[in-house]
Amino acid sequence: MKRAGAAHLRAARRRRAFAGATIAAAVAAALILIRRRSGGRARLRLRRGIAALRLAARGGARYASNAPRMFAAAGENRERLRTDLALQTAEDVAVTLGAMKGVLMKLGQMASYVDDGLSPAVRRTLSRLQDSVPPMSPELAAGVIAEELGLPPERAFARWDPEPIAAASIGQVHRAMTHDGRAVAVKVQYPGIAESMAADLDNVALLRRMLKVTVPSQDVDALVTELRDRVLEELDYRREAENQRLFAAYYAGHPTIRVPVIVGELSARRVVTSELSTGARFAALAGWSQAERNLAGETIYRFVFRSLYDAHAFNGDPHPGNYLFHGDGRVTFLDYGLVKRFSDVELGPLIHMVRNLCVDNDPEAFRRAMEEAGFLVRGAPLSTEVIVDHMAVFYQLVRESAPLTVTPDYASAVVRRFFDLRSPVAAYVAIPRSYVILQRINLGLFALLGELNATANWREIAEEIWPFIRAPASTPIGEAEAAWRASRAATGSLA
Amino acid sequence: MVTAEAYAAAAGLVERSAAAYVSGVPEEPADAGFFGPGSVTWRVSTDLGRPVAGLRALMLQALHPLAMAGVDQHSNWREDPVGRLAATSGYLATITFGDRAAAERAAARVRRIHEHITGTDTITGQRYEASDPALLLWVHATLVESGVVAAGMFGTPLSAPDADRYVAEMVAAADLVGVPAGQVPGSLSDLESYLTASRSGLRCTPAAAESMAYLLDPPGLDEDIAEIWADIREGVVAALPSWAQDMYDYPAAPLTPARQTEIRQALGVLDAVFLGEPGMLEARQRITLRMRAARQA
Repeated sequence: MKRAGAAHLRAARRRRAFAGATIAAAVAAALILIRRRSGGRARLRLRRGIAALRLAARGGARYASNAPRMFAAAGENRERLRTDLALQTAEDVAVTLGAMKGVLMKLGQMASYVDDGLSPAVRRTLSRLQDSVPPMSPELAAGVIAEELGLPPERAFARWDPEPIAAASIGQVHRAMTHDGRAVAVKVQYPGIAESMAADLDNVALLRRMLKVTVPSQDVDALVTELRDRVLEELDYRREAENQRLFAAYYAGHPTIRVPVIVGELSARRVVTSELSTGARFAALAGWSQAERNLAGETIYRFVFRSLYDAHAFNGDPHPGNYLFHGDGRVTFLDYGLVKRFSDVELGPLIHMVRNLCVDNDPEAFRRAMEEAGFLVRGAPLSTEVIVDHMAVFYQLVRESAPLTVTPDYASAVVRRFFDLRSPVAAYVAIPRSYVILQRINLGLFALLGELNATANWREIAEEIWPFIRAPASTPIGEAEAAWRASRAATGSLA
Repeated sequence: MVTAEAYAAAAGLVERSAAAYVSGVPEEPADAGFFGPGSVTWRVSTDLGRPVAGLRALMLQALHPLAMAGVDQHSNWREDPVGRLAATSGYLATITFGDRAAAERAAARVRRIHEHITGTDTITGQRYEASDPALLLWVHATLVESGVVAAGMFGTPLSAPDADRYVAEMVAAADLVGVPAGQVPGSLSDLESYLTASRSGLRCTPAAAESMAYLLDPPGLDEDIAEIWADIREGVVAALPSWAQDMYDYPAAPLTPARQTEIRQALGVLDAVFLGEPGMLEARQRITLRMRAARQA
């Protein structure tokens, strides 16, 4: 109670700083929240509320000229959501996503990158489950905003669109405009979902059973542990905001890679607010020229490997819905819920492997690197030639310097090889826990490039990025990127 | 005599049950049916605990020697157990979610089939007729009580007034298959008294033991269901009254809260698997929309 009292005082002091009946009423609303719930959480809410008010006070001061246009355009991209089935209460959420269904949906989303590894029945189940989640009703979403930001959405924002523009994992995205005139995307989490999913993720035995069915590979335990940890992380949007902030800072000023900036004052455990981006959806790229698609593919490739090798982080969600395309190879990368950071120790073996196989052309060293990293059982009764032959498909893009097209056929051959349990090598290959997500995301990257039919000299691009080569720019995007890198003060790492 | 005839494998249990269920949920019903979307019956019928309720009811029903004999001697239970279960699932969906005409058609078909099912139970030596209201009432009462118990343990528990409303609403279902409404318990306490009074006639015949052993561990169940089934089986046995556990010799300690949660989670997975079946999501959405509209009215 003492703490709440101090908060009262602080609130009162701030209240004096502002004028106007609206603001006073809003503070009163925040105080009512305080009275109802004492302790640290209430203080946090009040702080959020105050932050929103501060923005309100600045309203109109800095009206970005294109914000209203973006606000409108984002509505045009609105996905078809079954608003008639909208979840109206926390009980509706519990019935729809409780009892393991939210967890299954999330795993299904991850597993959807590796479709070929799933039986048709399981794939159908998981994709239907994703379709089965209706959006929140405007009132339910508004309730979450009010609880998290301390103000109802119409007050926390200058403009608020009560209709969601997109479904997000365990939440949905609304467009809004801040009081200082920025068009923003606001991701709102389903109420109660974090608690029920956290409880469901404790049932490791059931997860293991489910995954044994959905992902019939040999690394079920590692996969369960890693996926469990990553999903648990994703339940707290503050972590996602932090990741996105780091990515945005890292890529600030990059010629083709865009990361929407987080609005920290309007983000909390169940709400993330970031700059609104508009652009073409992945599906629209089908109508673009192949040259444009190649450039988009190049930027995606650069983003993945720059993040990994330079920033030691991997944004693990190569879902087609997480990109917006702007032409000339410019791509906006959305959604940082599933980010894996790598230590030098974890990254080292990956670098050795690619170097040994693709640059030094030393199969024995490649094999040793695989063994050291735990990818391959030591002393497996297999010739190195057989192992290299098995693994080569994963490195095919970068083994030789020549323009290569990633066709859908090639992408699915990679996935099939990954899940090929009949191969003599399969019994001796394992995926250490740290790399589980990486491996699967890698497959997602191949699938994406395959969809684009992207052509590039991937080897030359890789050589620009590989820390043991750092070759000069090989493409126009590469040149622009080199200039960007040169202009950056420090090449700070994300990890 | 109980034959040693093997049961057919349970492959396709989910697919066929789901298909039968979907066919029972109309796209354009002529009316609200015998219960309506605002009823407790609809809520219980869409409850997470529903599979446990169904299996628990079957286990109790099988303890009535004459009910068991009728199924054992006449139905295609042994040759096509999955088909028999799917038919029951479809029937219940039809009388619950279908309009009155559809429910009456389905019930008339069941009554016609029952007319031909008569015989002598080899264990007790008693004659039976499937259309006997006393037998039908036993089947009805166990189903209704199981709905209340399973929702309480694994789904959304019913308040005492809602449980009474449910029992009263379900009198219509008994009436449909031919139990005069006056004989059907109309409140939870009447229902429980009836079940207690009926206990003296129950016994676990070899046919019951065999059928239920099959049901709890169906051979040939699709791989992705089999492991979940193990959890659900534990839930079903735990949900039985202790006297029924004793009769089957399936002793079960009360579930810990943690175990109860795990079984609920397994039921969620099973539900997700059902949702993956063709038409199932759409059928659920039809039901949800109608329940939503009733809630708002």
